[in-house]
Amino acid sequence: MNAKRLIAMAGTLVLAVLLAGHLSTAGGSGTSDASDAVIAGEGCTSILVGKDASTDGSVMTTHTCDCGTCDWTWRHVPAADHKPGSTRKIYHISQYKTWPPSEGLKWDVYKKDFAGLEIPQVAHTYAYHHAMFGYMNEKQVAIGESTIGCQRKMQNPTPAAKLDLTMLTLLGIERAATAREAIRIMGSLAEKFGYGFHDDGEMLAVADPNEAWIFEICPVGPLWTPESGKPGAVWCAQRVPDDHVSVCPNESRIGEIDLANKDFFMASPNVVSLAVEMGFYDPQSGKPFSWKKAYSPVTGSATSTNGRIQRLWRFFDIVAPSQKLKPETPNMDLPFSVKPDAKVSVRDVMAMTRDRSYGTPFDPVMGIRGGPFKNPNYYRQTRVIDHGLAEYSTITQSRAGLPDPIGGIVWIAFGSQDTSCYMPLYAGMTEVPKSFMVGDHWTFSRDSVRWAFDYTDFHVQVAYSEAIKDVEAAQAKYEAELVSRIPEIDQQALALYKKKPAEATKFLTGFGINNATTVTNAWWKLGDDLLVKYNRLYLYNAEKRGMVRGQPATPEWWKKAVRAFDILMEPDKK
Amino acid sequence: MNKRTLFVFGALAVIGAGVLVAGQSIPKVGLPVLTTSAGQSTDVTTLNIVLDEAGITYDYCDVPTVEMVGDGVGLGGRESGPGFHVEVTTDLAKYPAGTPYKAVIFAIGASLKGMGASGLTLDSEEARLKKVIEFCKQKKIFVMAVHIGGESKRGPAGSDNERMIDAVAPLADYIVVTKDSNKDGRFTKIAETKKIPLTEIEYALGLVDIVKQVLQ
Repeated sequence: MNAKRLIAMAGTLVLAVLLAGHLSTAGGSGTSDASDAVIAGEGCTSILVGKDASTDGSVMTTHTCDCGTCDWTWRHVPAADHKPGSTRKIYHISQYKTWPPSEGLKWDVYKKDFAGLEIPQVAHTYAYHHAMFGYMNEKQVAIGESTIGCQRKMQNPTPAAKLDLTMLTLLGIERAATAREAIRIMGSLAEKFGYGFHDDGEMLAVADPNEAWIFEICPVGPLWTPESGKPGAVWCAQRVPDDHVSVCPNESRIGEIDLANKDFFMASPNVVSLAVEMGFYDPQSGKPFSWKKAYSPVTGSATSTNGRIQRLWRFFDIVAPSQKLKPETPNMDLPFSVKPDAKVSVRDVMAMTRDRSYGTPFDPVMGIRGGPFKNPNYYRQTRVIDHGLAEYSTITQSRAGLPDPIGGIVWIAFGSQDTSCYMPLYAGMTEVPKSFMVGDHWTFSRDSVRWAFDYTDFHVQVAYSEAIKDVEAAQAKYEAELVSRIPEIDQQALALYKKKPAEATKFLTGFGINNATTVTNAWWKLGDDLLVKYNRLYLYNAEKRGMVRGQPATPEWWKKAVRAFDILMEPDKK
Repeated sequence: MNKRTLFVFGALAVIGAGVLVAGQSIPKVGLPVLTTSAGQSTDVTTLNIVLDEAGITYDYCDVPTVEMVGDGVGLGGRESGPGFHVEVTTDLAKYPAGTPYKAVIFAIGASLKGMGASGLTLDSEEARLKKVIEFCKQKKIFVMAVHIGGESKRGPAGSDNERMIDAVAPLADYIVVTKDSNKDGRFTKIAETKKIPLTEIEYALGLVDIVKQVLQ
């Protein structure tokens, strides 16, 4: 064996060992503090921004609906008045359950799963936009979500628990005029009628134009009955300071609580007693009660889990690098919220939802991980914020100083955030685009907005590092420009609102639908163009009707890696 | 008759109504017992919590094979690994390792997520259940089927859950279901056709007293 070959072989071995190390340990490092804890490691990410932490004074929440097989369809539910004595039917709504389009749309068909409970209806329910959860109502109450898991013996998958999380958010958003009211409504209904069935430990980001709260809720075990007189859920909520930002990446975020500080904490009456009863907290230990340590414990850090739980550290590193938080710090010791180094704009938040941890120790395209075209979707051992499985992502903005129908916006990007485009739906819209209401994972449809974005996404994968530039150019045109036009849209709507509020909602509805149609058509065309441009992994120039051989260029480092691998695999020739 | 007596009779009537649905009494079997899942839903966790609440020790395995059941208490010393969970809480002083099980309780409920985590498909789960139940029949191990997931988790005919019900319930020696799970009378029909005792309960909590009676 010559020296050159020996060096190549050693180098490749080092690469292989590094790679194998990542592959074998990722996911293997438990993130559960106790064997009885059930932690949801692969769900959604939710970001919260307080009003004094944003550039425009808006309160923001996000939700990346990272499922991979869930329903992505949206609905607008109009406001309604209800006669005294009328009731509200409760349905079991699974976040994951889907039906073939031939059987109908999820938000019609889910009513087959009646939970056997009707609760007294309120006199008036607010209009709202919803998909997997209620996201924004006409009072600018907004919601984002992230599953956090809970201790195993707290799970209650029995029908005694009438309320799932989705149903809870629909009830909260149709009844609440403020974030605090939404929390109290969801909490008290869950206590009374039992929470769980399809869901367990969950976090909701609940906001209005003034404040943002992290609301966390868990079931109380499968032996709960409504006749027990005990609460059928345990919950806690903590307000994010107005000049702070926070995040929930599938991990409980609420630690020690101070219920005397009513402006910052709320909880169910059993918040501590249940933990004592179930053996999750010993008051004699001398340690203060910690919500997350009791009900949804996690051990490990970004580093110790090889990036499996690096989103928490990564978010804080993006927004407050001056704090120099370390990836080695156990996640449970990272702060609840931080003051960002600079105020955060909605475009900053869009970028955060697209974050892939590039340039960090958890970079998914570091070394040979992303292949020759640096595709971050090849290496999924680290869990980045944008991991390519989103049904859709939302950013809600609740803005004081504007009438509610104009102040509230929910931005929606369908499919993976990096190849998608955020489109605004104002709170005052009275319908959502038809293409938002149809489609599923197993039937390609040109009528469904989601497929337009997946169509482009699919054609980006071939030569990611090149094709993503085309997408970014489209995002600059259809997303960034629109964000800069929002103040102008606001003023047009405001002028109409002052004359006649209904004219404003009509204008906003038309604007939202037209914009969504324009963007969706642009993404269908972008997908077509990418198919032609990177066809057969060459570069086709449609304008010049030419093909550039040798482009997109395979980088030299990749060729070296291939050669090294060949040498490693080649039988020893003597 | 005073109020207290009335209350006691009333309470007994409520419990009795559940017991007498199929016109039969609760079987007495005894320990040791193995708990497992038919379909890998989280309902087996509920079952284990029920046994904990009843103060009954048990062995648990999410995907036991015939060999494992045959190894008796302790499941042959097997340990949990990826996609395979074992828990032995059986009192080994009373029932030493290897003691044949007197009963196996199946918590019926299909979860594609759960089966995926265990590397199973619906077909392979059905095949596994068939073998395990056949073995139980040969060895005269009591088979108890429990469905506590409710109507919403049942699904239409041919659904994953219905296939799990068909794989276990008609072969069981005793069936316990929540009223919500049996709204359409599916379990009652199976019990009547196959002459299997069946108890309906209101909540999972109702299972606590039943397992005490069956196993203690």
